[in-house]
Amino acid sequence: MSIPGLAGRRILIVEDESLVAMLLETMLEDMGCVLFGTASRVPEAVEMLSGDDLPDAALLDVNVAGQTVYPVAEILKAKGIPMVFSTGYGQGGLSDGWETHPNLQKPYTEPMIQQALMQALGVTTA
Amino acid sequence: MARDMARAFDASPNPYTMLTTDFRYAGMNQAYLDAVGRSRSELIGNNLFEIFDAGGQSEQARENVRQLKNSFERVLQTGEPDHLALIHYPIEVRGPDGEPRIEDRYWSATHTPIRDGAGEIVYILQHTTDITELQNLRKRVSGAKDSVAVADLLSSNVLARAEHLQSDNLRLQSERNRLLDIFMQAPGFIAVLTGPDFVFQMHNEAYAALVGRRDLTGRPLVEALPEVPAQGFLDLLKQVRETGTAFEGRAMPVQLSSGPGGSLRTHYLDFVYQPLKDSDGEVAGVFVQGHDVTDVVLAGERQKLMIDELNHRVKNTLATVQSIAMQTARSHGEPRAFAEGFQARLMALSHTHNLLTRSHWEGADLAEVLRHETEAHGLTRILPNGPSVALEPAQALSLGMIFHELATNAAKHGALTSGDGRVLVDWALENDEVKLVWQELDGPRVTTPEHRGFGSRLIERNVRHDLAGQCSLDYSDGGLVFRLTFPLERRAS
Repeated sequence: MSIPGLAGRRILIVEDESLVAMLLETMLEDMGCVLFGTASRVPEAVEMLSGDDLPDAALLDVNVAGQTVYPVAEILKAKGIPMVFSTGYGQGGLSDGWETHPNLQKPYTEPMIQQALMQALGVTTA
Repeated sequence: MARDMARAFDASPNPYTMLTTDFRYAGMNQAYLDAVGRSRSELIGNNLFEIFDAGGQSEQARENVRQLKNSFERVLQTGEPDHLALIHYPIEVRGPDGEPRIEDRYWSATHTPIRDGAGEIVYILQHTTDITELQNLRKRVSGAKDSVAVADLLSSNVLARAEHLQSDNLRLQSERNRLLDIFMQAPGFIAVLTGPDFVFQMHNEAYAALVGRRDLTGRPLVEALPEVPAQGFLDLLKQVRETGTAFEGRAMPVQLSSGPGGSLRTHYLDFVYQPLKDSDGEVAGVFVQGHDVTDVVLAGERQKLMIDELNHRVKNTLATVQSIAMQTARSHGEPRAFAEGFQARLMALSHTHNLLTRSHWEGADLAEVLRHETEAHGLTRILPNGPSVALEPAQALSLGMIFHELATNAAKHGALTSGDGRVLVDWALENDEVKLVWQELDGPRVTTPEHRGFGSRLIERNVRHDLAGQCSLDYSDGGLVFRLTFPLERRAS
């Protein structure tokens, strides 16, 4: 089911677990989004954001193979790209200054991702 | 004037003697010499306890000496006069025949500190009264039948009171010593600070241990523990002094040096600053008492970290399971096939978890992971061959899933469908890179499938994403050949 407002949007995924990444990819495709790319490590994501070709939004796992994802978040913030965090730590799992961004707690459903992305992108359901 | 004083002193009917702080005779008046039956030259410069040993080595004599000595020590320690209302102290006197003998004597004494111009105690003035006659008479009349009036006359009540007072003093003294012992040996730390500069008056063993056994007594806080005031504790002490209300700290961090010039270490303390008020109600000092709760605080922090980590892992695992369920559902439309495929993948995940739990999640050996995931298909049909390779937990979980998918596929379409088929799994370690080949033999003829299923997608994703390696799946005539290469130490990016 393609979602108006999200269809065609290019999304970056940062997630270290391949099974979880595959789940996100499937869900995003179902919503009509286009996969910008999936990074399994922080430096990989930083590299993907170094060029002129940039995503419309990003889904960031907070803990990526023992590293925090904030260096990636800083780049996205500087470039004005909206982002959604996901964490296994629940409420308060985000560091100071990032709480204003949507935060999904694992495991998540398609409607939860959809709502969080729309909130981040400033898209309203008509 | 001084000579007049000396003459008055000598003429006084009350016995007086001056002792140095190590209890040597420095001077005495005639009344004293008369009372003890000695000449001045016999005494001057000699130690009182050498001349008068209270009658020798008996237990009683030693106790008498101890009481007198304690009274002197109290004067030196407190700088205050000390009273011995009644002390039994036999002395050696010369009898009418000129021979020395021990005579039982009872005394009442007052010891007063005498200071020099600088305020240091230089002498102890002893004013002593021989009350042996009173005591003896009291003893004698207490045996007589019509003794009441006589006894009263002889002030036996006064003596009794004096005796009581003395035993009260001894009791209080031992009580004080007992309290002091408790104070010194208390498991919590205790210190007493006085004055506006918070000078250490006393502190116990636990306090000394806490601050690294530095020199504290008589020194102000800023000097004794220089790292402490800047951490806000001086302000707290001042506040207690100014307001007269106690301050209670809970798990408050403080950086303390392990000794003079030692390195700083963070301690967490539960403590109370209790104001000590003088008789006018003014705060004269602060009583510090508390416990080092560093171990408790650190254990609590570790526990929180562990709970966070556990939460993170559980939620991640749930997301993994959710993914397996969703992807399996897409490739297995029929409920029975879905249930089978889903359960088998859950079990694969669980097997590797079991293996990792055994090593407390430090890692697992490649051969062990392979065996755990494939033993259901028969140990003789999957033949491992390779060196010991220590995998990190994430690598072990990934390889577990990969082996599971390969074995399941082999059992459905490949070498494990027929009775003769075998799988050779060979691996080697080269420059910290694992090169592994899964080769199926003697199975049915295989062809490249038209549709890529979840199984092969899962394998490829795991290799690329979780192992940062490369792989290939070749469906040759002889059977499937899967080649895998991945770095053992995952490099950044």
